Amino acid sequence: MAKTVLQFVILYVLMVLAQVIVFNHICLFGYAVPLVFIYVILKLPVTMHVNWVLTISFLLGLTIDIFSDTQGMNALACTILGLSRKPILRLYFPREDEMSTPQPSFRSLGVSVYLKYVFSISLIYCALFFFIETLSLFNPLRLFIKIASSSLLTFIIIIAIDSLTTRRREKRL
Amino acid sequence: MRNLIDFLVKHSTWFVFAFYVIVSCIFLFDKNPYQHHVYMTSAGKLTAGVYDLSHNITSYFNLRETNEELQVQNARLEEELLGMKATLQLYQERYYADTMTVSETLRPYRFIIASVINNSIHKPYNYITINKGSRDGIRPEMGVVDQNGIVGVVNIVGDNYSRLISLLNPNFRLSCKVKGNDAFGSLVWDGKDPGVALLEELPRHTIYTTGDTVVTSGYSAMFPEGIPVGIVAGSEKTIDDNFFTLRVNLLTDFSRLSTVRVIASDIADSIRQVETDTNESKQQNKQ
Repeated sequence: MAKTVLQFVILYVLMVLAQVIVFNHICLFGYAVPLVFIYVILKLPVTMHVNWVLTISFLLGLTIDIFSDTQGMNALACTILGLSRKPILRLYFPREDEMSTPQPSFRSLGVSVYLKYVFSISLIYCALFFFIETLSLFNPLRLFIKIASSSLLTFIIIIAIDSLTTRRREKRL
Repeated sequence: MRNLIDFLVKHSTWFVFAFYVIVSCIFLFDKNPYQHHVYMTSAGKLTAGVYDLSHNITSYFNLRETNEELQVQNARLEEELLGMKATLQLYQERYYADTMTVSETLRPYRFIIASVINNSIHKPYNYITINKGSRDGIRPEMGVVDQNGIVGVVNIVGDNYSRLISLLNPNFRLSCKVKGNDAFGSLVWDGKDPGVALLEELPRHTIYTTGDTVVTSGYSAMFPEGIPVGIVAGSEKTIDDNFFTLRVNLLTDFSRLSTVRVIASDIADSIRQVETDTNESKQQNKQ
């Protein structure tokens, strides 16, 4: 238990640093911005109480906001994402008790379900974030391209990070 | 009472959710950028510390470009200096006594050199963090320039770091004019291209051609008159027929900002002092 908590604290710090130092400065073709830090929310155990998921999501969003001067945009989007995480997972994988480990991963959910889960989460998050961000400067086409390209980029980077970490764990075993 | 507690526990998720949503909305819709606290921005000690560390590594990447730009500017300044010296000599010869007092009034501005440690260009509202703060003499509402042109204005000041409102932020309007013309308008970024801003509210009788330089008007206390801002690229369709809107290619390359100069001016303080004094006396007159 203590080990998992520690692992999540380290993951949280690493993800925040990676987002603010590296990924915030990437902007492919002026549209695609990877929002990779949602990996932390994605990886929280399914058995965790929703209140805790909401708290962690809110704090994560707020941390990113403080670093990137976005004043509550990420905090709001993360909180909504934290609430919608479980229904999304249930949509693709109705029987939670059949998971081998409570953490969503390739192994516990199967490749296709996990890919669908990650893609839906990144699409929802990018849609939420860019919608909140452009509330004042509305431009539907630009917003749509931003959401589509950013969620695709986020999805690809999250899958890449995931395959890196799992491979390392398998080698250790 | 028991029922109430049961109800609260049963629906606690919704209460927690609503609470967090309300808190984030408070942050989100607090529109005034001057009211943010220093700990909630990138000028805070911890956040700026992280950016400072990463800047220490990444600042080496664009040294070459900065160096080239500095040399170009240096050459231009040297040319200008030689020209100035020649003119000054001419004047000195003519009116020796008068020129002695002129040279004193030429120096009301002083520069504080700072490094950019965090910067964004692709958000709708962009901010910049620099590694100088109140201990180095930086105060809110000071103007910031780099070797090419205007960068932004100081917004929140911490002890050792401060946050600037970038020129690429629709909250920041800069009073500008087309060089060689006294009509002025206000320059604002439209949130699209980080290399282009709009010069709005320019009177209709203003004469301009594409390629003209846009400079600061000096009507705000932050920037002295005549700092180059951009080049006129063309005109834009306007809603109001009485004014022009021009598209301006910015001279500052915001994707490669590294060293900037904060303008600490003695005039700005005195101008502001006069303005507040007159405002106060107006209010007193009303009463």
